[in-house]
Parts: sequence; C-alpha cells; structure tokens
Amino acid sequence: MTGYAVEVHEVHKRFGTVHALDGLTLKARRGEIYGLLGPNGAGKSTLIRTIVGLLAPDSGSVTVLGHAMPDKNILARVGYMTQASALYDELTVFQNVAFFAGLMGCRDRDAIDAAIAFVDLTQRRDSRVATLSGGMRQRVSLASVMAHQPDVILLDEPTVGVDPQLRVQFWAHFRAMTERGITLIVSSHVMDEAERCDRLGFVRGGQLIAEGTAAALRKQAGCDTVEEAFLVFAEQRGVSNNEH
Amino acid sequence: MSTNRTLILARRVVQQMMADRRTLALIVVVPVILLSFLGILIRAEPGKLVVGIVNDDQGVTLVGRAVNLGDRLAEVLGGFEEFEAEVMTASEADRRLQDGSADAVIMVGPDFTTQVTQTRHLALRVTFEGSNPMISDRLRTIFERVALQAANNFVLVASSPTASDLPELTATIDARYIHSGPEYDTLDYMAPALIGFLVFFFVFLLTCVSFLRERLAGTLERLQATPIRAHEIILGYMGGFLLFGLIQGAITLLFTVFVLDIHYAGNLLNIFVVEVLLVAVSVNLGIFLSTFAQNEFQVLQFVPLVVVSQGLLGGVIWQIEDMPRWLQPLSKLMPLTYANQALRDVMIKGESLLDVAGPLGAILLFAALVIMLSSRTAGRATI
Repeated sequence: MTGYAVEVHEVHKRFGTVHALDGLTLKARRGEIYGLLGPNGAGKSTLIRTIVGLLAPDSGSVTVLGHAMPDKNILARVGYMTQASALYDELTVFQNVAFFAGLMGCRDRDAIDAAIAFVDLTQRRDSRVATLSGGMRQRVSLASVMAHQPDVILLDEPTVGVDPQLRVQFWAHFRAMTERGITLIVSSHVMDEAERCDRLGFVRGGQLIAEGTAAALRKQAGCDTVEEAFLVFAEQRGVSNNEH
Repeated sequence: MSTNRTLILARRVVQQMMADRRTLALIVVVPVILLSFLGILIRAEPGKLVVGIVNDDQGVTLVGRAVNLGDRLAEVLGGFEEFEAEVMTASEADRRLQDGSADAVIMVGPDFTTQVTQTRHLALRVTFEGSNPMISDRLRTIFERVALQAANNFVLVASSPTASDLPELTATIDARYIHSGPEYDTLDYMAPALIGFLVFFFVFLLTCVSFLRERLAGTLERLQATPIRAHEIILGYMGGFLLFGLIQGAITLLFTVFVLDIHYAGNLLNIFVVEVLLVAVSVNLGIFLSTFAQNEFQVLQFVPLVVVSQGLLGGVIWQIEDMPRWLQPLSKLMPLTYANQALRDVMIKGESLLDVAGPLGAILLFAALVIMLSSRTAGRATI
C-alpha cells in the first residue's frame, strides 16, 4: 500500500467535444487536505466525480485507498459531499445523517450523534431539514459524509454560498478531520481558501497546471498571492480556456 | 389593477411554456390520442355474444299436429342480432360455459313442450356464464322477450278451437349462474378493475415524482457514491412503496367490499398478491419514466398517456373483446389489462392463484421488463 490515499493517473474524460479532463495526474497523501483550485468549468467536479467512481474515465486510472476505481466496495470508506446540499427535506437532521451512514454500513447512533455534534447541530437534531438555513443544510451534508468515519472525503465546493463566519468553522472542521487521519480533497474556486490546504493542485482546462504547497507555488511563480500564482501558471501552460 | 403587470406575467407564462417543447407537444398530442381512443371505443360495435341452446325437446302432438316448442325457441333465438345462437350438446354447453366462450346456455328438456302445454307456463332454464354481470343482465332482458315470443308462437302454433278458452301462457326465466349471480351489478364488475387501477395510478405517480426529486435534488448522485447497487435501490423503492400500495389497496378493497357492498367470491389475500405484482410494475415504470421528466409538471403529463390510456384500453370500462380487432393488440401490451383480468377472475369467479397463473405471469413479465429498464435508470450516474 502506498502513502497516497488517492492517485489519479493520466485521466482523460470527454463530454462530446469538451475535453473535461485532459491527461490529469495527481496524488493526495493520507491525512492531508488537498485543495483543487480552479475557475468554474475547469474540470474540478468532473475530477471528483471520476475519483468517487460516478464517471468512468475514457482513459487513465484512478486509485482510492489502493483500489482501482470504480469499486463499489471501497465506497464505504469514502465520503462524497456534492456541491448542492443533497438531502431529504422531509427527514430530520438525524434521519438524513443516519440514512447515509446506514448505506455506508454504520448503524452506530453514537457515531451519528457525534457527527451532528461535530457540525454544531445537536440542538437541531430532530428538526426537519426543510426548516434549516442554507448554511445549516451544508453542515448536515458534511455530517452525513463523515458519520461513518471514512478514510477519504471528497468535498465539491463545500463553502459555496456559505457566509464567512461559517466558512471559518468549516475549515476548522476539515482540519480536525485530518487530525483523525482522514484525507480530504476539497475543490474550490475561492483562491483565499488555498492557504488552508496542505497542498494545492491548480486545475485549468482539465489539466493540473501546478501542484505544491501554497507557499511553494507562490514562490515558484514569484507572486504574493495564490491567485496571482494561478494566473502565472495558467499563462505559462497556455491552457485553452473552456471555463466560465 | 395594472394591466401592464398582468400582461407581463402572462407573457412570462407563455415564454416558459414555449421553452418547454415537451409540455407543448403533450398538450397537443395527448388529448388527440385520448379522444381518438374514446371515440373509437364509444362507437365500436359491441362484440357478438354467444348463446347456446341445448334442445332435447321431444315435442307433443296437438290436435293432430306435431308441435316442438324447443325447435320454435331455437328459431326465435336465431332471429336476434344481439347474439349468435348456437345449437349445442349438453357436454359442449358445459365446456363452453366453463371456458367462457359461451355467455349463456338455454337448456330445453325432453318434456319441455309437454310441460308448457300442461301448465300453460313457459319456464326458460338459462345458465349464465356470469363473469360479466352487465352481459348477464343484458341477456336476461333479451331472454324475457324470447320467452314471451316463444310463448306467443306456441299459442299460434297450437291454436285450436278450444285454445281461446284456455288461460293465457305465462313465461319466466329460471336462471343459474356459473360465476357471480343475479345480485351482482355493474359496480361488482367494475370494482376489481378500479382497485387495480387506483393502486397502479397512485404508486406510479408517487414513484415517478419521488425518483425525479431524488435526481434533481442530487441525492441520487449521493446514493450512487455509496456501496448501494442499482438493484438494491430498486428493491428499496419497491419495498417502501409496496407498503403504501398495499395500505391503499387494503383501504380500497375494504371500502368497496364493506361500504359499497361489493360482492366477491375469491380469497381476499389473492387480491393482495395481484396488487403486489402490480405495485412492482408501477414502481419500476415510475422510476424508468422519471428519466424523461425534468420537473413535476412533466410527470403529471405522463398520467393521461400512461395511466388514462390503460384505463381506457385495459378493460376497466370497455371489454377488450368489444374493441375493434386492430386495437386489441394494444391492450395486450398494457400491464393493467392482465391485472384487471386476474382481479376479476379472483373476485368474481373466485379463482385461485393457480387459475390466474396466465395473467399473473404476464404481469411478472412486465415487472421483469420495467425492473430491467429502471435498474439502468437507477444505476446511471448522470441522467
């Protein structure tokens, strides 16, 4: 077994004429927060959906915890949080978290309650999700991907539409998870979140145009901010712009 | 009130509708299809009924003339356009009544003429097949006319100088039923089909909307990112909706039996077996067809196409045999046709599950087909 939780090798994925993933390669180490940074349409969501096995690559390979994807069996050790908080409005917070945890093989009520407590929603445990605010729904969504204590969590733009205060809380949650040995791959188009990741992968035009820590990438590009560094790497690679 | 604002809103509604080509197409196409079916069904000539006559009448000699009232009766029966009269033997009549290829049989005994002569009373012994009380009623009314005509005929044939002194001939129907009975009415015939129709309709609608929501809310994608398999999703949905389908089936059944006072001959549990299979079909059809809808509004438009068309062509109101021959194959492609047949056979004829194995097998085939289709829907990551 390698020290990498997720390995993506030379993955290509086309949707008609759009080359969503163009020979992308990356490796996420165990217990780290790996940030996928890039504008909308860069291929981040496609990459995450390919890693989790929802999309089959046209070529190349994806390995999660040493298992070639797609592999349904390994998904019990993976958590996947979609961009929109995909929850059942009619069910309570507890019922939602328990449902997804149950599918992952976790029936431990304490673990479910602990996940709800982790996102500070114990007070709203028995509230219907339909009655919650957008931020609370995102927190329920996060609880529902971690209750079964996965080894890898994939978070697709988890902080979109989340207010700054809650965003800080979210990153605190993410960091706390890595302390439990969980690997997080977090996609974002918000460059100021980059500093919170252990390592970053800049994604543009379906390619990984640069990889490293935020400090290393800034230094390599000779810039003060991650945002500027991203633009420098994008220009150097001359990647076609399909994004919007 | 601002006319301008109202017009702006109306224009937006039109723009939305124009953008939804599928809805537009359905608005135009569906009423035409349904009206076509209705027109055809209402104007269709009902299929010919078959009435058998077993004529063992030996006849008598009256005032020097051989009189056989059984023969006269057969002649009278042959003059009716509503049914085809066929002379048959007693064993053939039995067989034809049992297999449903004869709707009624008139039994004329060896001493029929003698009895009528002596008693001045014509008792027409009729055995009705009975599985469709509406047909039995229709025939019974005709037979009353037949009996009277035959009686009059007899008076003419057997007239003698003293005949006018005799009391007038009377006629009655002495009816027997293979299935159901004289107490059964139209509702008894419709109820089994309505029970199936309602369960099919509501379960289909609920599943279609639920699965559409699952897809639109993104929860389907999350489900697919768990170890759950497509067939487990299908079985889970079937299990969940089966519960409500059966609750609804039980309420409908108990209401029709105990409140509407519907007659039934079969085992109520057998009805549930048919309902379970029907729910399996409607759940999976709902999952499969949800793929083709982008919103709840579009799901509602499946109802006339998928549900109402089955209500019209599946034998709920119109008998399939009464439909034009070219339309009948379409009925055979509808699961509700077989469910109606099985439910009627169980409730009216009191048949066992083994007896209705044919229609049950057909429903199972439909279930297998839609399970296959819905599994593809549930297993697909991007729909």
